[in-house]
Amino acid sequence: MTLYGWIFLIVTWSFILWLTIFSVTKVLKHNKD
Amino acid sequence: MKKRENWGTKIGLILAMAGNALGLGNFLRFPVQAATNGGGSFMLPYFIALLLLGIPMVIIEWAIGRYGGKYGHGSLPGMFDVMWKNKIAKYLGMLGLFSSAAIMIYYTYIESWSLGYSFLSITKSYFGLESFSEMQTFLASYQGISDKYFSSIATAYIFLIITFLANFYILYRGVAKGIEKLALVAMPLLLLFAIAIMIRVITLGTPDPVNHPDWNVMTGFAYIWNPDFSMLGSAKVWLAAAGQIFFTLSIGMGTLAGYASYLKEKDDIALGSLATVSLNEFAEVILGASIAIPIAVAFFGLTTTQEIAAGGAFNLGFVSMPLIFQHLPFGDILGFMWFLLLFFAGITSSVAMAQPVIAFLEEQFNFSKRKATTIIAIITFVCINLVVIFFQFGFLDEMDYWSGTFTLVIIALIEVIVFAWIFGIDKGWEEINKGALVKIPSVYKYIIKYITPLYLIVILVFWTYQDAIPILLLENVPAEQVPYRWMARVLMIVIALALSLMIYYAWNKNKKSTNYNENKEN
Repeated sequence: MTLYGWIFLIVTWSFILWLTIFSVTKVLKHNKD
Repeated sequence: MKKRENWGTKIGLILAMAGNALGLGNFLRFPVQAATNGGGSFMLPYFIALLLLGIPMVIIEWAIGRYGGKYGHGSLPGMFDVMWKNKIAKYLGMLGLFSSAAIMIYYTYIESWSLGYSFLSITKSYFGLESFSEMQTFLASYQGISDKYFSSIATAYIFLIITFLANFYILYRGVAKGIEKLALVAMPLLLLFAIAIMIRVITLGTPDPVNHPDWNVMTGFAYIWNPDFSMLGSAKVWLAAAGQIFFTLSIGMGTLAGYASYLKEKDDIALGSLATVSLNEFAEVILGASIAIPIAVAFFGLTTTQEIAAGGAFNLGFVSMPLIFQHLPFGDILGFMWFLLLFFAGITSSVAMAQPVIAFLEEQFNFSKRKATTIIAIITFVCINLVVIFFQFGFLDEMDYWSGTFTLVIIALIEVIVFAWIFGIDKGWEEINKGALVKIPSVYKYIIKYITPLYLIVILVFWTYQDAIPILLLENVPAEQVPYRWMARVLMIVIALALSLMIYYAWNKNKKSTNYNENKEN
């Protein structure tokens, strides 16, 4: 895989993982509201 | 107004919404699209479409849904009617009922293949079939097109019946006890299976280092992620990316709005939409892209995988994957998990498609849940049989294009115009932020009003020119398929007309009863 390929993969995965963890954790905090 | 159901928990709602969005497309369509449209450079138009088209449309559907639900409406005709005081509004909303009802008909059949194949995997029924042509014949035989491996369509039909009954049992149980419970079980299992298979794929390395040293998982990842910047100038890539965002988030069917109608008036929609989108993207970009294509490259090499990808999503999911599982330790279990995860992805979407139609009967005709579910189940069952019988003649493809592709863009465009231009972006923005647990950047107010509709218009114009006209004129369709494709069109027209008549009748009836009550009070 080329350097650009790795950059694309790492940036994309990190962003999506962060967004998923952030939003789902916040939802769980308000789960029973 | 009847008391409406509500979601039991926030996480149940989010998982149901994510299940609604997450379907077969995440695991089969996305890798094919990414791989055939420039790999890593596909991600750039994909994310731009996500930001300018996907996220705004998901937020709009949630907002339309919660607003409509406040007035007792769980489907688009009623929702549009309360947002736009115009006689035509409810008939435009009919398109939402039409597309979800029509898609449900053929989607249930495809979904049942996944369940059937999970059984065929655990019983090793296809083990021993070593070539693509054999595996393609096996699939055709399962679908009743050939009698080489199955003497009749009975096996497929049994799994169809099971899938059909499971769908309608869940719908009969209702929103909190049926759909939410399903999501709470199916979604974690789906993600767990997908993560397990992904780990297995990543750890495969190079299965045959002596004969095929370049057939490995990393070449597969490189195929998807290495950017080909020359393709960024191609309109085809941008349209493919926008199309994928459309399908993956289940935009333009009114199903997200249908689920959102069961929110309470001050429940959050901002964080909810963000969580739905991010879970869907996690399943698509991280899990979906790391399974089918990399494993295919490791076993068949890049050139053959490109041919498989060009052959479409079913070729990848139901032909190449079963071939691969046979060569892996515990391949029967991996195959079982793969097809069961596809089934979970399918069923969490199909119940979402039927729910607005059932809600429509309950709310506009005062039917009980049992009566509404039974009526829709009977009609759906009759129509599914047409799909099964005429499958080989392009009946399903015809329905899929008009109800599952073209209509979706039209509905999405109507939704954004009704919400941002007729209901008004100021009122709309206020609605979006009511009860919000996260702040949506105010730039989205302008994106929703200007950019998203423009984006949709461009897609609609291109798709009409590129696909709709040739498909309408039945260009490149084999002569023997023409009558059956017309039959599919007649069926869709009948569904749309029946729904329009029902809307006309329901609104007249409700108007009369409102007038009667007002006179009585006076």
